[in-house]
Amino acid sequence: MALLEVRGLNKVYRSQGRTVEAVRDLTFQVAEGELVCIVGPSGAGKTTLLKCVAGLLEPTGGSLALEGKPVVGPPPGMAVVFQEYGRSLFPWMTIEANVELPLRQKKLPRDESQRRVSDALAEVGLADVHTAFPWQLSGGMQQRVAIARAIAYQPKVLLMDEPFAAVDAQARADLEDLTRSLWSRHGVTILFVTHDIDEAVYMGQRVLILSASPTTIREELTIDLPAERDQLGTRSLRRFAELRAHVYEQIEHAKRART
Amino acid sequence: MRGWLRRAVLALALPAALLALWAIVSERSQSFFMPPLGKILATFGPTWIPRLASDVLPSVGRLAIGYVCAVLLGVGFGVALGSLPRLRALAEPVLEFFRALPPPALVPVLMLLFGVGTSMRLLVIVSGAIWPILLNTVEGVRAVDEVLSDTCRCYGITGAARLRRFVLRAASPQIVTGMRQGLSIAIILMVVSEMFASSSGLGFAIVDFQRGFSIPEMWSGIIVLGLLGYGLSLLFRAFEARVLHWYHELRRQQRGEG
Repeated sequence: MALLEVRGLNKVYRSQGRTVEAVRDLTFQVAEGELVCIVGPSGAGKTTLLKCVAGLLEPTGGSLALEGKPVVGPPPGMAVVFQEYGRSLFPWMTIEANVELPLRQKKLPRDESQRRVSDALAEVGLADVHTAFPWQLSGGMQQRVAIARAIAYQPKVLLMDEPFAAVDAQARADLEDLTRSLWSRHGVTILFVTHDIDEAVYMGQRVLILSASPTTIREELTIDLPAERDQLGTRSLRRFAELRAHVYEQIEHAKRART
Repeated sequence: MRGWLRRAVLALALPAALLALWAIVSERSQSFFMPPLGKILATFGPTWIPRLASDVLPSVGRLAIGYVCAVLLGVGFGVALGSLPRLRALAEPVLEFFRALPPPALVPVLMLLFGVGTSMRLLVIVSGAIWPILLNTVEGVRAVDEVLSDTCRCYGITGAARLRRFVLRAASPQIVTGMRQGLSIAIILMVVSEMFASSSGLGFAIVDFQRGFSIPEMWSGIIVLGLLGYGLSLLFRAFEARVLHWYHELRRQQRGEG
């Protein structure tokens, strides 16, 4: 059975007589332990889709289920990493307190939550900044804190909404590898939204290519690259170039179909 | 240490110069209403040491109670109005009306309703100081960051924890701004409320001296008020530095980058 099941998802924004159909009809499944990337042209309603899956937005039509249970509001086994790292960490709390806050809310024993906090921070390579504040760190490091917070929460599904779009290229490559290694180590299911074709192909086991808005799924593509990936080797494979070219073409078609 | 000294000298230079100017200009003053500074200062101790318990402390006590009530009510209603758009739409015209009333105008009304005791004076302070706190809290709560709000929802941070760890902290820069304005209004209204039908307090003492033609004493009362206001603003600044440390650092960094 699929861990996450999205069927006929539709989202229409209504405001003062104007209606905008952002997402027309999306159906897909994510199996337990999978890493699925969603890629689409800009303005394809990727964030709308992700917010619906996260239970932050109520879909207009269709159904969503996590572990067979319908999603109405944010489900407990789900964590989200947002693109705007500067706005997703609490600036009045230390790094440590930021990572710990969801655990305190879960009413974990204090020593258990503190152990999880220091493990998670060590795993993202930030063992030495516990008492710093988020705004004292670089963008890439702030996003690492957001990832540590998600990992410490031990979710079934981790949603990532263009998480590395706002960090510089080098930090970005590091964060991609970090995410892949956390995924394989923890067996967490990841749904990764991006507008970057290379990133989608590099990261995913599967890539869902979206059409332009109103969004449907244009193609589901299995990424048959070796499971062990690294920035230099994988990206210079011939198969990587082929997959990349294929996704690129599809996105170009999607863009043209709109105009 | 040297930096500290320099700042102290800078901070005290102008007040010292103004005092010296006042002392020199007023030294030969023959005017009954403008006595020399020396004479005012000479009456300071004998006038205010006995009145510390009978006038100064009751005033400060009423100010403290009134101000704390204004903060609690202002922040409480502000959070409610800021988070509930329907309630806000309902209450806004009424709030605008009450906010537009000058609080001293309420003194006669409150005197009729609540007598001339402490409760009337507290109500005057609350009725004036609450508005900047309330309105700033509403704005602060309305402006909380959407991404942070979504983050709270995702991680199940709801109810009281959301209020304490997110909403109040996120709105704290605006709340503190409102509290600062509220404090100066509270001091003004403390004095005003004591000028009507009163038998104790700083405002009463100053009016009493003026009616009894004890002019140097009256002037010394003005100095007491100034010192009190200054002391409270220092206290407030220390409080602000503690509560908004993160905000000032964040702003400084953003300015540095931009």
